[in-house]
Amino acid sequence: MSSTLLVDKHVTYIQALAKNKDDLAYHLTTHLRMNAIYWGVTALFIMERPDALDRDDILDFVMSCWDEEAGALYFWSAFGANPGHDAHILASLSAVQLLATYDALDRLDTVDSKRARLVQFFLDRQNEDGSFTGDQFGERDTRFLYIALNALSLLGCKDDLARIADKTVAHVIRCRNFDGGFGAEPGAESHAAQVWVCVSALAILDRLDAIDIPLLAWWLAERQLPTGGLNGRPEKLPDVCYSHWVLSSLSTLRKLSWIDAPALERFILAAQDEEGGGIADRTGDMPDVFHTCFGVAGLSLLGFPGLRDLDPVYCMPADIIEKRGLRKDWEALPRRAA
Amino acid sequence: MHGVKRAKQSREAIEAKKKKEVALLADYRALEEDVIARKRAGDYSEEAFTLTTKLLKLNFEYYSVWNYRRQILERATFPNASPDKINEVLSVELTFTSAALRQHPKVYWIWNHRSWCLEHVPDGPSEEDPHGWKTANWNKELFVVEKMLDADARNFHAWNYRRVVLASLPVPRPPAEELAYTRRKIESNFSNFSAWHQRSKVFASVWETQEPGDVKLAKDAEFELVKNALFIDPNDQSGWLYHRWLVGDGADVSILSREVGVITEILEIAPDSKWCLDSLVHYKRLLLRGTPLGVDSRALRQECTEILQKLEEIDPMRRRRYQDLRREMDVEA
Repeated sequence: MSSTLLVDKHVTYIQALAKNKDDLAYHLTTHLRMNAIYWGVTALFIMERPDALDRDDILDFVMSCWDEEAGALYFWSAFGANPGHDAHILASLSAVQLLATYDALDRLDTVDSKRARLVQFFLDRQNEDGSFTGDQFGERDTRFLYIALNALSLLGCKDDLARIADKTVAHVIRCRNFDGGFGAEPGAESHAAQVWVCVSALAILDRLDAIDIPLLAWWLAERQLPTGGLNGRPEKLPDVCYSHWVLSSLSTLRKLSWIDAPALERFILAAQDEEGGGIADRTGDMPDVFHTCFGVAGLSLLGFPGLRDLDPVYCMPADIIEKRGLRKDWEALPRRAA
Repeated sequence: MHGVKRAKQSREAIEAKKKKEVALLADYRALEEDVIARKRAGDYSEEAFTLTTKLLKLNFEYYSVWNYRRQILERATFPNASPDKINEVLSVELTFTSAALRQHPKVYWIWNHRSWCLEHVPDGPSEEDPHGWKTANWNKELFVVEKMLDADARNFHAWNYRRVVLASLPVPRPPAEELAYTRRKIESNFSNFSAWHQRSKVFASVWETQEPGDVKLAKDAEFELVKNALFIDPNDQSGWLYHRWLVGDGADVSILSREVGVITEILEIAPDSKWCLDSLVHYKRLLLRGTPLGVDSRALRQECTEILQKLEEIDPMRRRRYQDLRREMDVEA
């Protein structure tokens, strides 16, 4: 079992994903394509291999997913997951993050003012009660609330965020549970991924005061199992992606020291596919780009040598967020020397 | 991808699989192109609808196709149909998606489509009974969700959706029924925190309107229920979390002292139970808040410090938290 991060293998694995266009699996996952590229690119940047995929190819792909039709009647437009797919908030955030990562948000400054219509899309997703929907069909989830805030802040919409802050925070508080965690909707069970989106949303709005930090950090620390891995809810199995949801939340709350970092690091490294590259949910399982991204993200927060700093609020390279003036008061473990 | 074992495959096996996929892939691509072209062209025909069924059966996560399907229903089917017909079409949709859900219980888009269908059930069957169809459909939905929770008692999609269904029933169910349901779930597996959570939500709303005496009786019964769970497995988090909810801010000192007694009893059977010890510290610190400075408070403080030291030993993964708590107590002293 490896105690090193197999960077070269992971880079090759991510590069290959973009080339397997003859695979049925590639075509059965087009609804996730924009997200998958964001996961791959973020993993590459954190592994300090930002040039491993072609910047122009990716930016051209992102812009080719622009959906003119879905919101035509409402003066908004946004991104779908793949060319020809409908606009959705999930793909739209990944698109904005990719543009920001490659410092290419100016691609939205077109004669037909794509940027303004995209901002309108995110703003229009908010309901009267402060909650957000994923698209015009109305599914509500705290994930979408975080997504809108993340994208609007990357797009520089400070005034809009200030205007919607109070009702947005009120909704997040309605989703808070007695264990200090948050669910997808008012009444829903706390879940580490929903905790991460709610903590990050509150961080973006500078409203961490809405959190009982000792209580929530306790609940988060109890996600760590004897194997070192983290689960997402009480009495569930550990999974590498929770090294991001739980760890990033603890980082934003400045309580990373409440879990056993070396044990988690061993758990993530053991989930690597040592032959084909990529990271899986657990040792011995099939790797995928989602777990590769969140495994690498977790290792970065744990101070693993040779990695670029990750911003736990945005799940993007920290320097890129800092340059946009969006860095919050989170804390990661010091970067160790190789 | 979750929980899919990595299998070592030979080059030959991979090639063979690829060969087999070629034909499948070609069919899938052709169907996809056809559907997307029709969608772009605004084709809302029955034929297009049938093609979306075919495509979704191959890929239930294709959200744009679910959208297209709803557009066809809204723009072509419903405007020309009687309420009776609409109700029938939606029933077919629900049957189609319940088969899909059994295969893919965690696909958000399928759950979404179901709730969209249910929201579009028209008034009927008659003016005298305008909620008949709605009631029948939502009741059936509750049954479907319960089947899903029988298959996976922790599926959070199903639990979240269950709350939507309960809130949408034209005739609300009495809370007692939901309490009975969560109790059944808990008794079949004390480790089902989702059921404990749901139970806490039901009680929270019921207790808002009840007399303090009734609330106290109900709470005592809950303490009994959770005590059983804690005695059976003192290392399971679920019961402890629920217990902490029941105690709350510890304003009722008699309850607090009684529960500290109960936990001390459990500790005798399981002296190294970290959850016992951690709960004891928490409740003793709550007790401390109401204890005037003096012999008693010094003793409580000393007990907490000793337990925290023990916790550092038996739960080294969270050592720093226990150290932080000790430091916090030193500052308070």
